Amino acid sequence: MRATAPATPTHTPVPKRSAFARTLPFWLLLPGLLIIAAIQLYPSLFTFYLSVQRIEPGTGRYVFRGLDNFARLLSTQQFQESLAHTVLFLGGYCAFTLACALGIALLLRQRVRLSPLYITLIFVPWVLSDVVAGVIWRLFVVPEYGLFSPFFANPDLFGGSRGISILTSPAAPSILGDLPFPPAPALIFLMLASAWKILPFTTLLILAALQTVPQEVLESGSIDGATGRQSFRYITLPLILPTLAVTLFNLTLGGINGVGMVFSLTGGGPGTATEVLSYLLYSIGFARLDFGLAAALSTLMSMLNLVLVVSTLRLTGVQED
Amino acid sequence: MATTVKSLTPSPFHLPKRARSVLLNLALILVCMLMLFPVFSTLVLSFKQQSDVRSLPPRLFPCNTATDTFDLAACRFFGEGYERVFLAKPSPNALLGFQITGRIFSTYLPNTVLYAFATAFFVTIISAMSAYVYSRYRFRGRRALMIALLVLAGVPVLTMLLALQQTANGIRRIIPGYEERIFMIIVYVGLELPFAIWVVKGFFDTIPKELEEAALIDGCSRFGALVRVVAPLATPGLMSIFLLAFVNVWNEFIVNYLLMSKQNLRGAMYGVFDFIAQSLSSYNALAAACVLVMVPVIVVFLFTRRVFFRAMVDGAITG
Repeated sequence: MRATAPATPTHTPVPKRSAFARTLPFWLLLPGLLIIAAIQLYPSLFTFYLSVQRIEPGTGRYVFRGLDNFARLLSTQQFQESLAHTVLFLGGYCAFTLACALGIALLLRQRVRLSPLYITLIFVPWVLSDVVAGVIWRLFVVPEYGLFSPFFANPDLFGGSRGISILTSPAAPSILGDLPFPPAPALIFLMLASAWKILPFTTLLILAALQTVPQEVLESGSIDGATGRQSFRYITLPLILPTLAVTLFNLTLGGINGVGMVFSLTGGGPGTATEVLSYLLYSIGFARLDFGLAAALSTLMSMLNLVLVVSTLRLTGVQED
Repeated sequence: MATTVKSLTPSPFHLPKRARSVLLNLALILVCMLMLFPVFSTLVLSFKQQSDVRSLPPRLFPCNTATDTFDLAACRFFGEGYERVFLAKPSPNALLGFQITGRIFSTYLPNTVLYAFATAFFVTIISAMSAYVYSRYRFRGRRALMIALLVLAGVPVLTMLLALQQTANGIRRIIPGYEERIFMIIVYVGLELPFAIWVVKGFFDTIPKELEEAALIDGCSRFGALVRVVAPLATPGLMSIFLLAFVNVWNEFIVNYLLMSKQNLRGAMYGVFDFIAQSLSSYNALAAACVLVMVPVIVVFLFTRRVFFRAMVDGAITG
């Protein structure tokens, strides 16, 4: 990160100002820059460095191995499986959350007197931690005694009695060959729980966008004879589309990176049915201690995230004055 | 007029205004109930006694009798789950005559309180300092720095943990007796800063420059103007950043879990995670642990919701 040249708003030198006053912006920026460089920038670069290295057995030294780690990672079955889980999870999670959030936001957009109260109540799940949310949903499906356990143990719905809880029952045989579809009930449950947690935030974003749709345009639309559906399709939707896209990127980011809920809800199981990329990263890097492989996966995930972030920036067109 | 925007509501197009409003409220109440149900059922579960936890078929309320499935008079609520979390033991030396030996309360929650307060404090101050410069000065590289902040905020924490853990191990080797809690707080501050700087810059941008200029003309120094004029006006915004950082750190699990090698330095979320394995089938105790660690943040949120929404919508739309 480049050092910032201190600059004052006025370029005419004012003799009586002290050196401290002239360099004030630099001193104000310094702590933030130092901490961010140490905690965010350095680890990112170090991870990238690790991803092209391998620890030499015996000596424990790092040796340059080029893209070896990446090749190793892409060829493991575990990676392919968790990539598939992640894609399935993200698809269901994003679609379900966006649909629900749009519906709730449209309800809240109507002028209801109690709207602030409803928004506050709907928002409670968002302030819970991933771990607590995971445990709460886990308690629904613990073997036998969970409120939803009888539902998931129902052989008519989930084909044969494959265990007493979705925390233990494996996925049905795949109908799409290599792609694990349909996913294990536990993965669907994880989707549902994650969607519940993020739904308030998504709703708020969409609601904020809906409120920027000018009332006059909608009114003139209705004077011209547009039905409710038409004015949504041709006025509201085009106007909130950028926000919907940003929201989608936010959801994808959160979905790829979220791991707390996997930990507390399913622990990656049953088997590896809910092992998504972020959980795989944990198990490679921190349980199996294969640093090179974990760094390669980290780098891939960071790249993916960067693409998403840059697209979001493009869409919002961050134009700072 | 309000009939124009209701496309996806359950088609109350030609209903009278009154009926429409009733339908709308019913729909929203239903949504609220669905969203709050998991929290509510956990609360109920935490007050059940062990024999009701293990009732088959599972019941939401422990209110069944031999003849009825639900009888309000027969409801049985106990503090058994909470006792298992607190594990209070009588101790003559303690202030109240007993000592809490449950690890969530004796170890993990105090750690979390420390991490959350310290992080929120430093994030607020440092982000205010940086954001002031980004908002008021123009210099080369300013735009690049701001974009870099956003990009860094988008790098997933998990991918940096490996390197941070190596750093922590390195520091531990070099400085034998160093305080790991300080490292934890610095990490949290670094992770929260990029987003916080953007949000606070947004708040500063809304404060008119003329106020500061007036102070400068009256002989105030630039730093004095920041402390005396800008900071007080930005207090609501800074408070929202404080709260957001506080709640984020309170709820954080994975960074703390992987960076702190010693159990007694970990926070409340680790306590809950650890409790999953410990409590086996005492689901009432597990629920009680959840209730105890989530109630503080829910209370903070309910009292300060306006401040919360503001920081989040501002932050989410720019970043």
